[in-house]
This record gives sequence, C-alpha cells and structure tokens, in this order.
Amino acid sequence: MRRRVQPRTLFICLTLLCLLAIGLSLTLGPVSLPLFDTLRAGLRLLGVPVSADGLEQTEMILGQIRLPRTLLGLAVGAVLALCGVAMQGLFRNPLADPGLVGVASGAALGAAVAIVGGSWLGGIPQWFSPYLLSVCAFVGGLGVTALVYRLGKHDGQTSVATMLLAGIALTALAGSAVGLFTYLADDATLRTLTFWNLGSLNGASYERLWPLLLVAAAVALWLPRRAQALNALLLGESEARHLGVEVEALKRELVFCTALGVGAAVAAAGLIGFIGLVVPHLVRLLAGPDHRVLLPASLLAGGALLLFADLVARLALAPAELPIGIVTAFIGAPFFLFLLVRRRN
Amino acid sequence: MMRRPAALIGLCAGLVLATQALADELPRRWVSAGGAVSEWISALGGEQRLVGVDTTSQHPASLKALPGIGYQRQLSAEGILSLRPDVLVGTEEMGPPPVLAQIRKAGVRIELFSSRAELDAVDDNLKRLGSLLGAEQKAAELAAGYHQQLDAVQAKVKQAQAAQKAPGVLLLVGHAGAKPLIAGQGTSGDWLLRQAGARNLAAHPGYKNLSVETLAALDPDVLVFSDRSLNGEQALQALLKENPALAASRAVRDKRLVSLDPTLLVGGLGPRLPATLNELAGAFYPVAKAP
Repeated sequence: MRRRVQPRTLFICLTLLCLLAIGLSLTLGPVSLPLFDTLRAGLRLLGVPVSADGLEQTEMILGQIRLPRTLLGLAVGAVLALCGVAMQGLFRNPLADPGLVGVASGAALGAAVAIVGGSWLGGIPQWFSPYLLSVCAFVGGLGVTALVYRLGKHDGQTSVATMLLAGIALTALAGSAVGLFTYLADDATLRTLTFWNLGSLNGASYERLWPLLLVAAAVALWLPRRAQALNALLLGESEARHLGVEVEALKRELVFCTALGVGAAVAAAGLIGFIGLVVPHLVRLLAGPDHRVLLPASLLAGGALLLFADLVARLALAPAELPIGIVTAFIGAPFFLFLLVRRRN
Repeated sequence: MMRRPAALIGLCAGLVLATQALADELPRRWVSAGGAVSEWISALGGEQRLVGVDTTSQHPASLKALPGIGYQRQLSAEGILSLRPDVLVGTEEMGPPPVLAQIRKAGVRIELFSSRAELDAVDDNLKRLGSLLGAEQKAAELAAGYHQQLDAVQAKVKQAQAAQKAPGVLLLVGHAGAKPLIAGQGTSGDWLLRQAGARNLAAHPGYKNLSVETLAALDPDVLVFSDRSLNGEQALQALLKENPALAASRAVRDKRLVSLDPTLLVGGLGPRLPATLNELAGAFYPVAKAP
C-alpha cells in the first residue's frame, strides 16, 4: 500500500492553504496597500467601528475589487473541482472532466451567440444587455447537457457509455458552431470571444456574484451527502444497485449538479480549464479514492488553487492582466506531473 | 510711485495663482486605452502626462516605454488604479464595463472618445482632448490642418479621376504572408481605400479569407498589403510565395504594390492618416509615365 495522508491532516492543511490564499488574495494586488490599512479597512467592512481617515481608497479597493474577486475565485474553483469529482465518479474514468457532458462546449456556444450574434438579435432591453453573455452561456451549458442526458437515456436506463459518446459528438458539433461564429465575427468580437475562452476573474461585482454563490453553496452542500453512493458506484453500477443505491436517481442528480454548477461558474468567469480535471486527481493521489474525503478536500483545494492562479494572473504583468485559464494549467500541470512521477517511483 | 511695483507684483502673483488653479483642474496623470487617442495626445504635446497606455498605443514609439495596461477590452481595474491616474481616456471599445464601473467608483474620471471613421468624430475628439490638456489652440490648429490635408487628397483624387479610371484594389492583411485576410465592405481598410479614390474589389463584409481562385479572378490593379510581422519587400516576397495566384495578377505584373502600416487599421482616425491617404492616392493615380 502507498502511504496516504490522514484525512484529518489533509483537511487541516487544505483549510490553512485556503485561508492563506484568501489572505493573500485580499492583501496583494497591483495597488500596493499598507498591510495595516488593509486590516483596518477589512475591520470596517466587517462593521467594526474604526476611524476612516484616509481609508476611502483602501476600502474601495478591498471592498469593491478584491473581496468580490476573492469570493468569485473561491466559488468558481470549488464548484469546478466538485463537479470534476462528480463526473469522474459518474463515468468511473479518471479522464472525465466537467466538459465531458457538454456543459463547457454548450456554454462556449452560448457565449459565442451572445458575443457575435448579440448585435443581430436586437430588441434586447438596455438593462439586460450586460447580463446577456452570462445568461446565454448558462443556458447553452444547461441545454447541451440536457441533450446529452436525453440521448444517453433509453427505456428508463441511462447508459453512461452512450452519454460519453453523445457528449463527444455534441462537443464536436458545438465546437464547429463556435467556429462558424468565429468566422462571422469581426475583429472586436473575435478578441472578446478569445479572451472569454481563457477565463478571467477580472471585474467581479456582487450583483454577478450572488447567483453563483447560491449555486456553489447548493452544490457544496448536496454533493458530499452522496459520497457513500459515489463510493458504491466505484464498484460498478450493478454492485451499487445491490448495495441499495438508486443508481438512476444518482446519475440524474450528478449530471444536473454538474450542469448547474459548471454552467454558473462558466457564466461568471468564462472557461477555466484544468481545475475540474486535475484537482480531484491531486486529492486522490494524496488521500485515496474515498468520496467522503475526496469531495470536501477537492472543494478546498479547487478554491485555493484558483485563488493562487489568480494572484499570478493579476500580478505577473501588472498593471495589465493575464487570462486566468493560462495560469491554472501553467501552475497545476507541473505539480500534477511531479506527483505522477513520484508515485511511479 | 512706490505703489506701482507693488501693484505689478500683486497682479503677477494673482496671475500665477490663477493659472496654477487652472492647471490644478486639468487632469495631470493620464492613462490612455486607445491607439489613435494616444497619438493625438502626443501630437497635442501631452505625452509627458501619460502614465500608462494599452497594447493598441504603438505610436509614437516612445509610448512603448510606458507601463502597459493590456488590451483595451480587457482592462484591469486595480492595475489601472495602481498608476494613480486622474483620467482614463479611450474609445467606446474600451472595457469590460464592470471594470470601468469600478474605476469610476474609485474616483477616476473616464473620458470616452469616438473611434468612428468620420471627420466629425476627429473634430470632436480633438476639441475635447484640447480642452482636457489645456491646449485648445493647438487642437484647433491640428484640426484645421487635418481638414486641409484631407481636402488636398480629395482634390488630387478628383483631378486624377477626370483622366484615369479608378483602379480596382484589394487590401490584404496578413501575418508573414500566410493566408491573408481581405478587407471587405464596411471595414476601416475599405474606408481608407475609398478615401484614396480606389474601388475595393472585395464585396464581402468584414475581413475574410478568400480562396486563391477568387483572388486570381478579381485581378486587382493595385495590391495594398498590411503585414503584422514583416514589412516592405520582405512582406511582399512572403505574400507572393504563399499565394502564387497573385503573382499572375495585373498588380504584380505592373509592380503596383503598396504596403500599409497595420496599426492604422485599428482604433479610429489618427494623426498619421492624411499622409497615408496621400501616399495611397499617389500609388492609385500615378503621374503619367513617360512613354
């Protein structure tokens, strides 16, 4: 047996890591704020009456820029990692990621429709247009996933293999539709589309944050309750059924959760690859495949990894900013390879 | 008699204070997120007030030494605030909107300028930039000169068109020659060509790839090429090597090929435009050669 980290140790470490990431995310940025001012502004935001002399700028940057951004990063990272666990459990395949059921490609298609086709649609009320992109991405992700699920369902049974293939086919189809929109796009929309595909936590605001936080909380509370059932599913579908798991209901719930969670995350921050695929693997390498540990640990690790990636994204080229999708893979992939090689030895 | 110097000193002090107050109201630290806007600021003598520019601000070359704030549509609120600007200027292409809202909330003034390819837009932009920089007169002079230069090009084109047919032209935008995009209707490139008196042979909207056969069939009289990585003769050689069909066109046979700076095609009308138009018009309507 390979030596594994005790769940307790792992949770303590990951919680500390997550807190460290939150702390750094709130204190570091292109604007260098004195630590003491940041602390005072933080206390004021928490409602502690501290004198406000010369704090307006600090308070604004902390409260309006860094805090929503940190919350967005945590929620997106956690949801992506959790949905990654759900998909790898459902497909019983370590290569599965949330993109497999078509939610990412559907969201990309929705985004392409909104960015390129927004001007053709017309008749969009003024107040709605800032949200058009997010809503289209969310609806696109949900729609394609629903289609994949429908295609996998036959005589009340959901065939995971059919779903997998349907997911691949629909991803290809959505990809070519996005390609068509790319072709029709002009210079400006093309740049917007490219940047959206790389994801970013830039410009996070509370009004866009609430829907995602609600979905993230729902996913984070619900998935761990199904940890035992996911463990049973690891043995195989019929084995799980014999153990008393309602496999059909479980599959439906997993797919729904992923579509909802990843759809909301992508709608808020664009496509951010890698987290959903690799964070569950990292945790599994450290702590083994028990979903009771895997789910909450992935939640913490996903949030922390995304926040660290975002720190690099906002600091590396300051005052400009890197798209975060570039950074997640750049940080995560070498670490993942390192763990793989170490395990092989 | 003793009073007069005192009065004079008082007057001088008053004047100094007044101009000081005026200067205080004008924004001192500028961040610009638009290529043409940055160029106009430099032309108006405000370059030393710029503390940051975006990636589309490539001219004059000295701007590249300034801190870069990234691409104009993908600005970062905290990044820009870290430069402590008084004003952020750019075109309506600047974004994303939530970031602009954050910057505005932090008390930074945001001034939007038009990137439409129209003279009215240039006049308006110059007037507002002039008053923001405290260089109204210079702005008025530049605007008048701009009109004059453009009118001169128009007159030249009109005169030439009396004697010669408008040439059919294609504008190719490419990267090291490979698979160039052809500027179609409604693009900034199309506007340039028509201002310089050419007929744009491409009928499609936007910038598109055309098949080699279509290119050959259009048989342009003049080729304008705009390359992002190579320039001049090198770009031309690469273009012909990648697209042999063009080598048989009339433009190449008659050696009527013009290169165009690609930075002119983005972000509205800038100060370098009249000179470019003049050059293009010269290439489209060559002075009759000796037989």
